[in-house]
Amino acid sequence: MAPALPASMRVFERGWLSSNNILFIGAGETALVDSGYLTHAPQTLALVRHALGARRLDRVLNTHLHSDHCGGNAALQAEYGCSIAIPAAEAGKVRSWDEDALSYRATGQQCARFGFDATIAAGDELLLGDLRWQALAAPGHDPHALLLFCAAEGILISGDALWQNGFGVIFPELAGEPGFDEAAATLDLIAGLDVRLVIPGHGAPFADAPAALARARSRLAYLAADPRRNAENAVKVMLKFLLLERRQLIAQEVGALFAAIPLVELARQRYFDLSAAELAQWAMQALVRVGAARHEGLLLVDADG
Amino acid sequence: MNEQLQTPVPSPCISLCEMTPETGLCRGCLRTIDEIVNWGSAGDAYKRQVWAEIRRREAQLEFR
Repeated sequence: MAPALPASMRVFERGWLSSNNILFIGAGETALVDSGYLTHAPQTLALVRHALGARRLDRVLNTHLHSDHCGGNAALQAEYGCSIAIPAAEAGKVRSWDEDALSYRATGQQCARFGFDATIAAGDELLLGDLRWQALAAPGHDPHALLLFCAAEGILISGDALWQNGFGVIFPELAGEPGFDEAAATLDLIAGLDVRLVIPGHGAPFADAPAALARARSRLAYLAADPRRNAENAVKVMLKFLLLERRQLIAQEVGALFAAIPLVELARQRYFDLSAAELAQWAMQALVRVGAARHEGLLLVDADG
Repeated sequence: MNEQLQTPVPSPCISLCEMTPETGLCRGCLRTIDEIVNWGSAGDAYKRQVWAEIRRREAQLEFR
């Protein structure tokens, strides 16, 4: 039986195109952590509206600015006029909406431009749902990502730094920038906290943090031992993301899609002795093999494994 | 079916998140907005009930 959530918290478990959303309904203020993917913004709004009833949403906060975590920011801002708080290191990029420095152009993913009103730095203390939360640095998957930890309740909002089984792709390593050591340090940081419940960026909230950490460490060691493994995982994940977003792709066009996604092309040149078309073939087979996709005539169609 | 026997009960979300005004159900998971909002705070008993409802709704849809 999963530990109970405090009365002021709601968790919307959203699947893998959108991140989970965590809604705080405090006595004086309401807040949402992470807002899902752009194409799901109407649904995110509907969930927030339904849960808040007559109250408005006062604040949005983001653990990190990957497209699946902040795609609803603009819509929520337009609807509620809420303030938006982002990791401090991303302020310049968001202010000028630099899509090259932000991850969206590099990953071929979408995000609507939004303005921010506040920044969050590691060490900051936040009041959400009448509870005190500490922001902690969580580099690895993303260099500027944050964790939110409520010591009083033992609840950790972990973003993509730790899931029940694994963690998000170590993107910096694809570009030859450090990420494995940072991800390991983040897992160590989490291990030092007194965690009763983890609310991950994707998947169900879970109680057994030590077991999840053990699996994560093992996975990280496996990836770090041969960076090509991380690249293989990244390419599969990015293809799956495309499938979730578009529901189906023309199989013959996936090679061209890959060639047009800068991060995939970068990974291909660094780690694979394959053409874009060959890499696409490989990635499609890999997803089909595990039931994450299937072929239907000329199409590659999303599947649930 | 399978999902109702698993512990913890898995989420019905298939990342197709779109409410259908005509049915009041999400097009992807066939839950009401209430059920989606409640899911994160619910125990396995509630989730199994929701899965049973989803199966009933699926069966009804097949006859349209």
